[in-house]
Amino acid sequence: MTALSNVDLFADDVLTDPFAVYRELRAAGPAVRIDGHDMWVLPRYPQVRAALAGHEAFSSAGVAYEDQMNEQLRGTVLASDPPEHDRLRAVLAERLAPRALRGLRVQIAAQADQLVDGLVERGAFDAVSDLAEVFPVTVVAELIGLPQHVRPHLLGLADAVFDTFGPFNQRTMASMGQMVQSMGMVAQAVTREQLSPDGWAAHLYAAADRGEIDESSVFPLLTAYLVASMDTTVNAIGSAIMLLAHHPEAFAALRADDTLAGPIFEETLRLESPVQGFFRRATRDVDVDGVTVPASSRVMLLFGSANRDEAKWNRPDEFDVARNPVDHMGFGYGIHSCAGQGLARMEAAGILTALARRVASIELNGAPRRRLNNVIRGLRTLPVTVHPAALT
Amino acid sequence: MKLDVDRDRCEGHGVCAMTAPTLIHLDDDDQPQFEHGVAPADAELARVAASVCPVTALRLLI
Repeated sequence: MTALSNVDLFADDVLTDPFAVYRELRAAGPAVRIDGHDMWVLPRYPQVRAALAGHEAFSSAGVAYEDQMNEQLRGTVLASDPPEHDRLRAVLAERLAPRALRGLRVQIAAQADQLVDGLVERGAFDAVSDLAEVFPVTVVAELIGLPQHVRPHLLGLADAVFDTFGPFNQRTMASMGQMVQSMGMVAQAVTREQLSPDGWAAHLYAAADRGEIDESSVFPLLTAYLVASMDTTVNAIGSAIMLLAHHPEAFAALRADDTLAGPIFEETLRLESPVQGFFRRATRDVDVDGVTVPASSRVMLLFGSANRDEAKWNRPDEFDVARNPVDHMGFGYGIHSCAGQGLARMEAAGILTALARRVASIELNGAPRRRLNNVIRGLRTLPVTVHPAALT
Repeated sequence: MKLDVDRDRCEGHGVCAMTAPTLIHLDDDDQPQFEHGVAPADAELARVAASVCPVTALRLLI
């Protein structure tokens, strides 16, 4: 029997705290038909993972809810299936694979130290607007080689683009205008002559010149760098600091052993997955553990729910610094698995180890507020006070 | 039972080596290196190492 739910996954109260709804959906079945929207959801870990691995049955041509948005995303790596996907991905991976990033580790750690030093001196600051939002923009804009004047628009662009992955609700409509405006601004700023000659954007133009990709793929790939590297990393870093503020014992453990920075980041991605879910389109009738999802169905893969599946994780709602859940779905899985995960890990390690060395404790200095987005989970503000560590 | 990696697909994220350092290490080019045959005692660890590969490049062949 097909399980049905009439929940609106994009309503403010659900986006604010989706986890009780996710639990109900997981209990309802391996695939659940959502009544109010024309879609199915996969809420459990094994089926999310299998769908990500089974791209023949679950096409990324439907990575967003609305056809109109999928049409706009056409030609991007996120919305492509093999073989086109593999060609585009290879161009990104050439710059983003850990071996290509190795030379950046020292530089990124130094940038993190510098940012954290200034904030420790201030004592009280907003861990979102003063830290989490500053760092990825600085790092990525530099790597891509973007002109200065466009950098302040990048976060707004990413936030707006991800809203439009949802159905045409009020949030999506409000973000459409911003997306078009920011996209236009970025498009004007990424002409060959304005880019740093050794940056990733220039590299894309060079790949087009060599005939590896079509010139028309340059801008979509560039937006993949831009959009995918902002909100995601910003919210992961913001959520990690929130969890460490809520769990002083975890921060003390990190201070005692900074190799915990990696496991703490993975556990943050599991608990507070920045991308809560993406869509796929069923290419045929698909049997999802006994439930038939008909051909052409929209299917939302709920990463945020899979990452709290009680059948997969012990005490799934607990923040456990020792868990090191490297097989979480926070980066997705399979051919579309986050191409920038090496860079994200490097940025997070830079910030977390800088905090561990310079800060004795992190305290909330006011209630954090969420930034609601149709597919992204994160914070708008996180006021904190930090106490400097004694110099050693 | 043996481990097998699709070198075209592997991007060198290294999650396999982090998970099973006794079976897999990364070479200077971040490519996973391992003994192809997996001893029965290591089967479970090898299975987990393959299962955590983010890009499904590493497989355990039975």
